[in-house]
Amino acid sequence: MEQRLDLMKGSSEPLLLCLIGQQPMYGYQIIKELEKKSQGYFKFKEGTLYPALHRLEKAGLVTGKWQLLPSGRQRRYYYITEKGNKLLEVKRSQWQDFLTAMNLIIKPMNL
Amino acid sequence: MIAVLNQYIDDIRDNLRLNLANENDVIGELQSHIEDEFQEMRDAGLSEEEAANTCIKFLGSAKLVARQIYEVHSQGTWRQALLASMPHVLFALLFTLNWWQGVGWLIITLGCILGMAFYGWVHGRPEWLFPWRGYCFLPVLVAGGLLLYLPRGWSWVAIVIYLPLVCGLVWSVTVKSVKRDWLYSGLMMLPVPIIIGWFLVAGTEGEFPRISLDYVRHSAPGIGLSFLALAATTVAFIRLRKRWMRLVLLFLSGELTLVMVALYSNGRLSLPTFLLLTLLMLGLLLSPALVDRRIRRGKQPSIS
Repeated sequence: MEQRLDLMKGSSEPLLLCLIGQQPMYGYQIIKELEKKSQGYFKFKEGTLYPALHRLEKAGLVTGKWQLLPSGRQRRYYYITEKGNKLLEVKRSQWQDFLTAMNLIIKPMNL
Repeated sequence: MIAVLNQYIDDIRDNLRLNLANENDVIGELQSHIEDEFQEMRDAGLSEEEAANTCIKFLGSAKLVARQIYEVHSQGTWRQALLASMPHVLFALLFTLNWWQGVGWLIITLGCILGMAFYGWVHGRPEWLFPWRGYCFLPVLVAGGLLLYLPRGWSWVAIVIYLPLVCGLVWSVTVKSVKRDWLYSGLMMLPVPIIIGWFLVAGTEGEFPRISLDYVRHSAPGIGLSFLALAATTVAFIRLRKRWMRLVLLFLSGELTLVMVALYSNGRLSLPTFLLLTLLMLGLLLSPALVDRRIRRGKQPSIS
């Protein structure tokens, strides 16, 4: 688990941007989606999710909007902004380069 | 929601120390998260108590969550920082440009202070309001000083009436500031020991409360510099994110400014007076924390 946390360091914000970029989501939904899409690999510590989302919002990468549900309850949905989309493209490209470089070095010798 | 979850939300709210709009957003969002998770666990067959405890375990310590959210929102913008430092800059200009001798400039400065304090008060009490609010005590302080010039008998009567009124006013404003964040009370009160220090230094030797205007004229650049130091402290305070850094900044900067007053005084500020002013500053910085604690202890936990 410790090793997973080390690998996740610095990746949580691009992961959040990527998920919100696919569709507007609320906090609890983000945690569930992240867990489902990564087949249980990524388990976000719930208490750290909201500070991370608010950091993205302060940076103008996402925007939060309250929506009233038919049940009368309210949920805060996060939408990616234009600035967020641009940053996401940059991060995607950086991540691809990183993965390619890592694979070149880390792959077994006989492959 | 059951009591343990309400208590958890209250603990977060107590430690957030954000403005009301942000606080409502954060609390609403966390409440919605807890309701979703709680319901999901109940559907999975957990008892109410088990579901509530699991929700709390997944979210983590209320203090930690509140602190992390505080650190995201606590940093003010440069605009807010500059606006917050303006009353100190106004006073620095008043002395460095020798405007303090002109009644017109004094009235304009006082008008600006009262106007800005009122504007901030009716516009959601933003972070930049607190230093302006601190200077609103200045007319009260000056009125207290003027009472010392009344004939001896009248002076005592006036002071006996004045002191409880001032204490009541200071208490009421402090409690209102503390409810927002006790550190802002410290920021608001920071100039008080410095101003008292300059008053004591400018007192005609052995004849206090008589002020030597010649001495004030002579010390005007030093007085201006001390207010500029307060302005720089305020900018740094608004831009810092962590609470402990803000507190250390207030103490160190206040102490350094007092040292500056002592150095400028050429021995007119004795060591015991300097130490008393340091104690006063510590008291003004830390007593709001005690008031805050008392307010929290007095709160009944909300159970529904």
